[in-house]
Amino acid sequence: MMKRRIISIAALLFLALYPVTFGGSSPYHSAIMIVLGIYVILAISLDLLVGFAGQISLGHAAFYAIGAYASGILTVTYNMSPVGAMLVGLSLSGVIAAFIGWSVLKLRGYYLAMATMGLAAITHTLIIGMQSLTGGASGLRDVPPFRIFGISMDSYVHYYYFVWAMVVLVIVCCLAIIRSPMGRTLMAIHSDEAAASTLGINCAFQKTSTFVASSMFASLAGSLYAHYMGFLAPDDFSIFTSVHILVMVFLGGVGTIYGAAFGAMFLKLLPELTHTFQDYELLGNGLILIVVLVFMPKGLWGVITAVGRKLKLTGDAISEGNSE
Amino acid sequence: MDISQIIQFTFSGLTLGSIYALMAVSLSIVYKVSRVISFAQGEFFVFGALTMITLTGIGVWAPLAFALSVLMAALLGSIIEQALIRPVLKTTLGTVITMTIAISLALRGLALLLWGRGSHTSATFSSGEPIRILDAALQIQVLWIVGVTGAALLLIWLFFEKTMLGIAIRASADNPVGASLVGISIRKVNLLAWSWGSGLGAVAGMVVAPLYFLQYGSGVLPMVNGFIAIAISGLKSIPAAVVAGFFLGFVEAYSIGFVSSQFSEVIVFTVLIVVLQIRSKAASGAGFDEKGM
Amino acid sequence: MKKAILFLFVTFFLILMVSPGVSQAAEKVVKIGGVYPLTGYLSWLGEYYKKAAVLQVDTINKAGGVNGYKLELVVYDDQSSPEEATRATLRLVSKDQVVAVTGTATAPITGAVSSVANKNKIPAVLSSGYDVKADKEPFLFNTAHPTFFAIGRPFMYLKKKNVKGAGLLMPIGSLGEIGITNSNRASQQFGIPIVGEERFDVKAPDVTAQLAKLRGANPGAIFSFTTGEPAALVAKNMAQLKFEVPLVVSHGNATPGFLKLASGLTTNVLVPTGKIMVPDSLSANDPCKALIVNFNKLHMERYGEPANYFSGLLADAVMLIAEGMRIAKSSTDPVKIRDGIEKIKNFPGLGGVYSMSASDHYGTKMEDMVLITIKGGKWVQVQ
Repeated sequence: MMKRRIISIAALLFLALYPVTFGGSSPYHSAIMIVLGIYVILAISLDLLVGFAGQISLGHAAFYAIGAYASGILTVTYNMSPVGAMLVGLSLSGVIAAFIGWSVLKLRGYYLAMATMGLAAITHTLIIGMQSLTGGASGLRDVPPFRIFGISMDSYVHYYYFVWAMVVLVIVCCLAIIRSPMGRTLMAIHSDEAAASTLGINCAFQKTSTFVASSMFASLAGSLYAHYMGFLAPDDFSIFTSVHILVMVFLGGVGTIYGAAFGAMFLKLLPELTHTFQDYELLGNGLILIVVLVFMPKGLWGVITAVGRKLKLTGDAISEGNSE
Repeated sequence: MDISQIIQFTFSGLTLGSIYALMAVSLSIVYKVSRVISFAQGEFFVFGALTMITLTGIGVWAPLAFALSVLMAALLGSIIEQALIRPVLKTTLGTVITMTIAISLALRGLALLLWGRGSHTSATFSSGEPIRILDAALQIQVLWIVGVTGAALLLIWLFFEKTMLGIAIRASADNPVGASLVGISIRKVNLLAWSWGSGLGAVAGMVVAPLYFLQYGSGVLPMVNGFIAIAISGLKSIPAAVVAGFFLGFVEAYSIGFVSSQFSEVIVFTVLIVVLQIRSKAASGAGFDEKGM
Repeated sequence: MKKAILFLFVTFFLILMVSPGVSQAAEKVVKIGGVYPLTGYLSWLGEYYKKAAVLQVDTINKAGGVNGYKLELVVYDDQSSPEEATRATLRLVSKDQVVAVTGTATAPITGAVSSVANKNKIPAVLSSGYDVKADKEPFLFNTAHPTFFAIGRPFMYLKKKNVKGAGLLMPIGSLGEIGITNSNRASQQFGIPIVGEERFDVKAPDVTAQLAKLRGANPGAIFSFTTGEPAALVAKNMAQLKFEVPLVVSHGNATPGFLKLASGLTTNVLVPTGKIMVPDSLSANDPCKALIVNFNKLHMERYGEPANYFSGLLADAVMLIAEGMRIAKSSTDPVKIRDGIEKIKNFPGLGGVYSMSASDHYGTKMEDMVLITIKGGKWVQVQ
């Protein structure tokens, strides 16, 4: 227990001091960590939906896009404050998720996958089509840096702290949802929806609420992304993006929030190492994922926690209760 | 708008629809027997076409190249089924979907390495001017695609209705437990489904390739549309999938022609979502998933 | 114990002495960056970019460098994505400390790179269809001919041929948007009305529906501002429909790849491009001819293939940066280099004679472009 505390605190300290130590106060390293943080939020929020509520979604990028473009358009064209724009994005995503979720989540299995894919495709096409509003395929320029309480985060180092503060917030929220009574209901629905409904659980409501929460987190990630890039292009919000996030979740390990976070970090940092392999990247990604799916059903994070257990860094399930 | 244009919209719908219908058939075979929809099917489309182009490029006689490509795709499909699909079938649907996505990424990456980034042209199966009615024109190759689709349907029907093995497979798909009790090997059945599905996917690629310019990533769009077609048709009957494929092609062409060429994709996906909604209201068992997803 | 410490000390000192670059006069090197798509769907273009930039940097270094500095090219792959391009540019700017950036294949990627470059006050001499607003992005320059030239030049030609109307078949995407805006402008300038406008998905296998719609309005030419396979498909479908009017495509098609795709078709395809594509048809007193012929020769010797429009863009970018350094008398101060580039006047490059100004960050003229078409499997200039 003590060891775990120490490790968690060490990890937090590392995270907190990274930009000024290893990162060398360089905007480049802060930028990498910012993008990492954004994708961690995306992966975690998708895991909430896929891993806990058991709903396959290929449409996550749609809400990522809504948040990003809401922030982008409102701050550029209407001079709204970044915080205000972000809140508008969140509300918009929440409302759309509630509306769509209610009808789409009645579908199951492959139908659900297809319908959510349709969502992502429609959003993508609309962004390109509504050129006067969104800048179309050529993109939306001059998105200002994020500003809160009058402090403008021009420097990536500052923005890094803000983004990761958001990441921690999202993790805390997701863990809270999972450990709450609602979380337990979700897991009941996941393992057997028919049985759950005989117990009086309102499955539709629970699933939709999760969908709404998941989509709002994705929207948050989008807003953060808009202010980081300063520029938005629909290329970054396609079906491939949705698939990419899904791959992160499964690579890391479905159903464990930390797994998704790890998967996101792994996939985003991998190109840094495999710079020289260029054309082999597509094949490599596919093979890595295949290997993980066949040999490591609990994902990469599953392997890490297993190793950690062996090294007695994390307790085993019996002595730790269900706190993992 | 004159009649010539409307005819061309119809021809365009026929062209697009034929591609989607054939893809839908190859997806259907795999689904009907093994209950898995493979996101990797588009890659067999590409592999089939590019293998045939390579073979004819080195002088192999076209029909032989055709047969060899089909065999190679079928072999590839069966290896993938045994090594990769079988282990994850017992887990969640999400894992299965992700596995087929992973396979599609790996195959696409392989295609990139084997055939590069450039595009390749292939010869039409028969030479001849397009069919012309007034100002509208339809490529003869489209008739080949429709013909192949028809032949595939016929063969499939014959197999499932008239042969012992086919009937046995239908039984095992409807009732896996019962079937295995009677001695039908589910494993063999799934293997068969995947090898045919892949072979058919390759056939689709080879017969469609002469229409445009194929490269390593060209399999995604036909697969997505084939997917939409079988989702619309209800995943239950193969002929229905074919009809849905053509329906989709016409919806797309007519949207482009009569409504807007910019938003036709929105229209197509909206139709999909609406159809899915209607079907889910009509019957509560809308998405087949005994795995409870 | 003391002996051990002494031994270590001596060893350490020796190693220090032998280490390269410690006491020697290091050669003065300054870094310029390249953000090219080496993977992803634009990698065919990234290859041309890289080859040309490497060649041009070597050529400049062989001639002695600039202001006593040799140039070093640092290239990163943007994977054909704006997000990765941002990361690559940040790396160049903060880790590698480049004084200028080249590259980018599409408008969105240019936007992403320009955002970083302008924030960090590093001049970016990029090459794409991006519309540069010099007052808002003073650090961005573009060696690709403005899209308005790429569309206006064919309009100029068609006007001479008395064409009465133009139909637009534009791809969904940034090229299409740029194409429509500039076609409308050119239509007004040259007095050829736009009689129809349709869009298409670049991955679509068939565009005959859109072509049938356009044909109904009787255009004398079709403009399809798209590159590569989609352009070839439009040409193929037009031949299928016996829609026998000229097809004008984007200037990104002046490549061997497109030549191969479109060679067998009967459609009259017109590609606007730079003079680098037709060195033999240039007149003897064309200020760019010698440069073009020489670059082509070097490119052929080194890579076994002739230079093309895209090679020219990157070579020009490198040359403009070098010239900016010369004018500013500084190879190390990015802001001064930017000012130097802006002061370039009457500088012959491969794409034309460059004259920059505070409002014009392209520097070329519409007449610097020519039209080429395919005859007998080869590029031929259209008069």
